[in-house]
Amino acid sequence: MQNYVIFTEKARQIGMDNIIEVDKVSKAFTKHVALDEVSLQVPRGKVYGLLGPNGAGKTTLIRIINHITAPDSGMVTFDGHPLTAADVPNIGYLPEERGLYKKMKVGEQALFFARLKGMSKHDATAALKEWFERLEITSWWDKKVEELSKGMAQKVQFIVTVLHQPKLLIFDEPFSGFDPINANVLKREILHLRDQGATVIFSTHNMASVEELCDNITLINKSHNILTGPVADLRRRFSDNTYELGFEGDAEAVMAQIKPIVKKMDILGTDRDGVTRLKLALPAADASRELLATANACSMIRSFNQILPSMDEIFIRTVEESNSNSSQTPPAI
Amino acid sequence: MNPLKIIIAREYLERVKRKSFIISTILMPLLMVGMMVTPALIAILSGPEERTIAVIDDSGVLAPTLQNDGEVTFRDFTGDLADAKANEDYDAILVIGADVVSNPQGNVALYTRGAPSMQTESYITSQLERTIEGLRIKAYNIENLAQIMDEVKVSLTLNTFRIDKEEESATSSMLSYALGMATMFILYMFILLYGQMVMTSIIEEKNNRVLELVVSSVKPTYLMMGKILGIGFVAITQILIWAVLLVACSIWLMPVLMNAAADSADPSFIQAMSQLGDTGFMVMLFGCLVLFLIGGYLFYSSIYAAIGSAVDNIQDASQLQTIAIVPIIIALVISTTVVNDPNSSLAVWCSIIPFTSPMVMMARLPFGIPGWETIVSLVVLYLSFIAMIWLSAKIYRVGIFMYGKKPSFAELIRWARYK
Repeated sequence: MQNYVIFTEKARQIGMDNIIEVDKVSKAFTKHVALDEVSLQVPRGKVYGLLGPNGAGKTTLIRIINHITAPDSGMVTFDGHPLTAADVPNIGYLPEERGLYKKMKVGEQALFFARLKGMSKHDATAALKEWFERLEITSWWDKKVEELSKGMAQKVQFIVTVLHQPKLLIFDEPFSGFDPINANVLKREILHLRDQGATVIFSTHNMASVEELCDNITLINKSHNILTGPVADLRRRFSDNTYELGFEGDAEAVMAQIKPIVKKMDILGTDRDGVTRLKLALPAADASRELLATANACSMIRSFNQILPSMDEIFIRTVEESNSNSSQTPPAI
Repeated sequence: MNPLKIIIAREYLERVKRKSFIISTILMPLLMVGMMVTPALIAILSGPEERTIAVIDDSGVLAPTLQNDGEVTFRDFTGDLADAKANEDYDAILVIGADVVSNPQGNVALYTRGAPSMQTESYITSQLERTIEGLRIKAYNIENLAQIMDEVKVSLTLNTFRIDKEEESATSSMLSYALGMATMFILYMFILLYGQMVMTSIIEEKNNRVLELVVSSVKPTYLMMGKILGIGFVAITQILIWAVLLVACSIWLMPVLMNAAADSADPSFIQAMSQLGDTGFMVMLFGCLVLFLIGGYLFYSSIYAAIGSAVDNIQDASQLQTIAIVPIIIALVISTTVVNDPNSSLAVWCSIIPFTSPMVMMARLPFGIPGWETIVSLVVLYLSFIAMIWLSAKIYRVGIFMYGKKPSFAELIRWARYK
């Protein structure tokens, strides 16, 4: 009994640390299964990446979290209680496919969306003015949406998503249509919102931005959750003992010396200072000692570091593995 | 503020502020008046062309009595039919047999170049009939017979009264017919016009993906309801503007018409005018028009909303639209027959079925029908609207996220069953 109480107390605490818990959620449409018993936990105050190939079921999952569609079975917990329609004002969702009313003026339209989220006209106007200044678009207030470019409209959509300061923000491909400068502005704002305490769910195919922004990810493929975990852990776990070695000395001789130790060797190049860089695949993690000793004996080592796999590689490897072996159970961390 | 109100307000203001709304509100009455006046004008301006008709009269008694009018000129022709046919001066040849007075049937013939005009034909026959009648009466050789015959002739107008009502009231079926058809047409126009407006507006929202952003903050059902109600308020605004215009016009026009009625010897016209002047009747009629208009609009626009949510563009909508258009057209056709017999069982049944009831009831109402029928019809209509909007909301919720393939009717029903 005592144990049970401790257990539930702990579970509650863990639960409170997650803003969203998805428990065995399934959703089927006439011709296909969009989600099949998908579970995941989104920790509070983090940026959470929701990844997956096209048609994997990400958007359906996001719509369920956003209370737009209901799951066939399973449960979604928001902030410690079952998700209800009353939680929607605490969520800001920027859908992947998004548009604005073309004939409406920008300011009027932003106000309309802000008020739909339950903000008063007065608060919404004040908050909007602030955001418009922050993103340097104050001069657009009285323009019609049809006069804006796609990127400009995206900025307005971003503002109406975050304006009401929701606890949970969901961004589906937020950077599409942005130039690199504005994309950076947006990244900065997203991280700023996280620092202020918001949790961000971030769905994208841009793996570089996942590495940059996300603390945790979940990879969904063919309606299953096939990989979940903190980005740093995953990259370490997927590391295949690949290292980069930089040295000064006779490259041919060094390569001949270390060849028996390494599994695979690629020359990355020699720079002007005579430093040669090699990409080396080792058979095991502890082979690095022997490698360093050998290399040290015949050259001057300038650099040695581990190369972690990119999220791109992890994505491709995991999805391909799961496609070739669809009965495989999801690896847990 | 309730999100539904915000959506309604946006929808309403966006439309009412548009130039197209203001223009159509002004132009529509002009167009209606134009549509009524133009055929009459055309008829007046394009009377029959002038025709010269050669008359070959073997009886010798009829030709002199034929009278020319502006369009038709008769000319005696001596010679046979072949000569007359050869003569291009004549547009037609009238051949009258020798014993036409005793045996008129089949004894008169008209040969024309081109198609004969109905007016000319009836002009000739009526003249000949009258003359032959006169000649035959004369043949009886009774003194003053022509005068007696004139005195015997009667022209009658029926004064009709309703006895099933508390108060015997003079009615004019001519006016009822006109009012029924007019209000029914207004209803038909509004349902079709505004129902389709709901559909196109939903398709547009779906197409430019603004819908995805809206449903991220409010339930899809709210958006659909907001759209239907917002556009409904636009329709009511338009009708109220027209009502005000109509009242203003009639205040100015009624005295003129009343004077005309008083001067007129035509009793049916006087009756019609007194019925039009009956304020209670007109208020009842307008009240029912508004109630059926709202009910019919809500019912049909929910169907249109479901259709709009299911397709990506207007082209794809045409096929599914038949679900809404066919019953509307059927209702229109039934309404035009119902005015001839407002209490037939077809009329009563179609007044209860919600697909046809708004229009059929409007066509019947001016004839005065039992109050309970109106109430049953309205209750069924509004209950069906609730059922229909519930079904449509279920389809809409799924449909708005479906892109690509054009769905079939069966698929729409399947969507309604999704959780």
